[in-house]
Amino acid sequence: MLLAVALALPRFQNPYQLLTFTRFLLLAAMAQGWNFIGGYAGFAAFGNVAFFGIGAYATGLAMLSAWHVPFFPALAFGSLVAAVTAALVGALVLRLKGHYFAIATLGVAEALREIADSWDDLTNGSTGLDLPIREPGAFFYYTALALVVAGLVVTRLLAPSKMGLAWMAIREDQDAARTLGIHATPYKVAAFALSAVFAALAGGVTAYQNIHVTPTDFFKLQYTLEMIIACIIGGAGTVLGPVLGAAVYQVLSTYAWSRFIELHPTVLGLVIIFFVIFAPRGLMQAFGATWRMAKGERRFRWTDLVANVRVNRVT
Amino acid sequence: MSIAGTLRLLFGCVLPLLAALAVGVLDGRAAAEERITFGAAISTTGKTAKEGEYTRDGYQFAIDKLNEMGGVRVGGRAYKLALKYYDDESRSERTAQLTEKLINEDKVAFILGPYGSAPTSTAAPICERYRVPMIEANGAAESIFSKGYKFTFAVLTPAKQYLRGIVDFVLAHDRGAKTVAILGENEPFSKEVAAGAAEYAKEKGLSVVYQQLYPSSAQDVSALLTTVKSFRPDVVLGAGHLQDSLLIVKQAKDLGLRPKAMGFSVGPSSPEFRESLKRDADYVLGATQWTPALRYQGDDPWRTPKAFADAFLAKNPSYSSVPYQVAESAAAIVAFQHAIEKAGTLDPVKVRDAIASLDIMTFFGPIKFDGRGVNVTKPMAVEQLQPDGGKYTVFPQAVAERDGIYPMPPAPAP
Amino acid sequence: MNVAELSQIAVNALLLSGILALVALGFSLVWGIMNIVNLAHGAFIVLGAYLTFYLHEAAGIDPFLSIPICMVVMFALGFAVQRALINQVIRAPILATFLLTFGLEILLVNLVNYFCKGDTRSVTTAYTGAGITLGYVRIPYIRLAALLIALALVAALAWFLRSTRAGRAIRATGMDIDAARLTGVNVPAVYALTYGIGAALAGAAGSLLSVMVPFDPNLGGAYTERSFVISVLGGLGAIGNVVLGALLYAFVDVFVGARLPQLSEAVTFVVLVLALVY
Repeated sequence: MLLAVALALPRFQNPYQLLTFTRFLLLAAMAQGWNFIGGYAGFAAFGNVAFFGIGAYATGLAMLSAWHVPFFPALAFGSLVAAVTAALVGALVLRLKGHYFAIATLGVAEALREIADSWDDLTNGSTGLDLPIREPGAFFYYTALALVVAGLVVTRLLAPSKMGLAWMAIREDQDAARTLGIHATPYKVAAFALSAVFAALAGGVTAYQNIHVTPTDFFKLQYTLEMIIACIIGGAGTVLGPVLGAAVYQVLSTYAWSRFIELHPTVLGLVIIFFVIFAPRGLMQAFGATWRMAKGERRFRWTDLVANVRVNRVT
Repeated sequence: MSIAGTLRLLFGCVLPLLAALAVGVLDGRAAAEERITFGAAISTTGKTAKEGEYTRDGYQFAIDKLNEMGGVRVGGRAYKLALKYYDDESRSERTAQLTEKLINEDKVAFILGPYGSAPTSTAAPICERYRVPMIEANGAAESIFSKGYKFTFAVLTPAKQYLRGIVDFVLAHDRGAKTVAILGENEPFSKEVAAGAAEYAKEKGLSVVYQQLYPSSAQDVSALLTTVKSFRPDVVLGAGHLQDSLLIVKQAKDLGLRPKAMGFSVGPSSPEFRESLKRDADYVLGATQWTPALRYQGDDPWRTPKAFADAFLAKNPSYSSVPYQVAESAAAIVAFQHAIEKAGTLDPVKVRDAIASLDIMTFFGPIKFDGRGVNVTKPMAVEQLQPDGGKYTVFPQAVAERDGIYPMPPAPAP
Repeated sequence: MNVAELSQIAVNALLLSGILALVALGFSLVWGIMNIVNLAHGAFIVLGAYLTFYLHEAAGIDPFLSIPICMVVMFALGFAVQRALINQVIRAPILATFLLTFGLEILLVNLVNYFCKGDTRSVTTAYTGAGITLGYVRIPYIRLAALLIALALVAALAWFLRSTRAGRAIRATGMDIDAARLTGVNVPAVYALTYGIGAALAGAAGSLLSVMVPFDPNLGGAYTERSFVISVLGGLGAIGNVVLGALLYAFVDVFVGARLPQLSEAVTFVVLVLALVY
């Protein structure tokens, strides 16, 4: 039912609004990817835009190469390159924990940006690449939609599976998990690689859509943050969370951009602060609680709003 | 699925979709108007904020003037012109987004270029995709034009030629000048400026002892300048933007680097340059696309550079001098005016063809586009800031206001 | 590379390390004591720089004299931020404080951008650019002064932590929060104090930077990154470590910067990752 609405959408929207929806879908896809490593496995990766950029460049280079690879195979190629990179980097970096892991991944993303900027022979440096132009239409929207649906399916399948449970065990307590016989490393690397694939696919689609690909635009820290915020808002470690969070974020962002274009980062900052303090488990949890209240299982108390603060603040 | 599950799904997916639809409706559409609206994504904040302001003011000034004179005549009717612009914060992916917004949501008739080659490179493919002509006045990198885009045109002289004037100026004063050091910002335009300068210098018999690019976001180039100093070059050339030229001049002074001549592709011609550096700006040379001292007789509302400058300063008293970005932006409007009137219609493709076949003289210089869309007929000039506080055109000699001072005298005692 | 160039580069590195040590110190303190990676550190640097700029423009106050003013203002701001916001989520998983400080950074930088405009500013005084020349090497006065002030602040901090009651309370809380609480230490206040000091040091660094480089609202980000790298290089826990880390980093940065400026960040992060992993 929902899918029908989503499929029919392009007919009612002008191209610019369609662009906004497409952006939301791509963000949702990236958030879903991040959800694997950050939500389920509990490793806060701060550099996933690296894979977005790799996907964009790999797709672009394939399409511009002597073989003139068509879009979808190029996209697949891009995700492959990203997955391999993630596996290699992950093997090294997943040994770290907490802050260290976060900043190491951030470092990787920044380093890749600089490399893309300087390696003129391969990436055309700061001048950037121009992909073949595609006539405007609903193509990107449908591709992005397919991506999100695939993400939902994959998450739904993996969450209760052995892999998903292993991730959650690792998230709760990696050492305890190890004593139970779960080898953390392959699972962590798998989560990381999976997140890379989604980011890369989103990157490839965006590259084709924007036509012009440059290191500064495609290795932006902001994209990583948006992925993470979308997950936090919606609820990391849940199936629908990333999509919901991406939708909320996109609505807020678009609204802020059209009304207060200069203060739009301030709005973003406030949103982040609000969610981190009051609703770190995201909206999915809030809805769950609301539903339970509606069913009469719990009564609403004002203190619920500050419950998170109560637990986490220092006294 | 249980009721809980369905409700969860409902909250999860339908609500955001509905919300997004609502936003779409709330956003509204631009009302169709009896005017020709030009759209532009200009950097009024961020790294190239000052240059972006000059661009916007140039566009607005020309549009106001043409409106005063009755507007643009198309098929017997006169249309007023309007400018709709957004701030792209000097970030090129913003430029692309905003260009899409202008074309699709605001439904502008034509696009005017942003400030800077990097943003122009992102806007050009968008214009190509939607087949809307763009005349840009502030993106000189030839890489924009190597892709075969048919809908983008540049009125300014391309990047490779930027620093030629300064090299010629030095050689005219000092046949014995031997060595050049070149610093460039790592972005499309400056890379080409630096490469073009190096090539030209070598052609003229100078030896390029140092050539290095620095990151766009660099806030400290003292390490580079230290190396430059060790080579003791006769000339130091900088290919970057206003912020970079300020940085280099300051840090060169810090390190005691004082070559015989120091010149920049962008920076010295802006009033900001002198305001920020005060006495430290003396003797610095700047490449410029245009100065009020040049002698052109154009087919436009002002005709001569001097008249344009006087008119602009009268309307914008906050400016102490007219930066070339203002003039080139105004020239873009003039080019559009001629093209639209020549085409006799507002159809984007026909206007595009008219632009491609333009061959006019303006207060800014000749405008004629080659097959790629580049205005190769216009030469560059050189300005110098001199100790009396003024900024004078010193090259080409035929139109120079004053003789340039070379070499730079030793630094005054603090 | 000849001797002249080499010695100038070495001096540049030495002078740079002073300010880097100052910047990293505040960051490292907050991290070491409270286990918070303060991504908003850069914002305090920027605020310090702008405050100095406006004091100079509006009231003619010499930038070096405005350092104490900046420090007090930033301290107050940092104290408030910690008390009101960050203290609420300290015991949550690390991602929470990370994101919170990040949200704060975006907010503060954007507000600066909005109110002060994105133009590049610089504080130019009569003595800008002046320096002395010793043999091959040129030492700008301003950078020298910055180094000396930075060292003075470092020493002051060391004295504070060792010899005052508040300083000892901070160290105790950093070592064992429960034991500290048991001995009567008011933990939320100590945390707020620590963060305030971190912010004050950042503000001082910002003041110094405002005379050394042209700056805009985005000044802070790069320095936060560098603070992180330095803290990791030097190791958290002792002030001396941070200074050593700063020295090491400054040398690598300046040497790489002289030869391969385009890859300076990449090299920095490779160093960082290697340091973390091994």
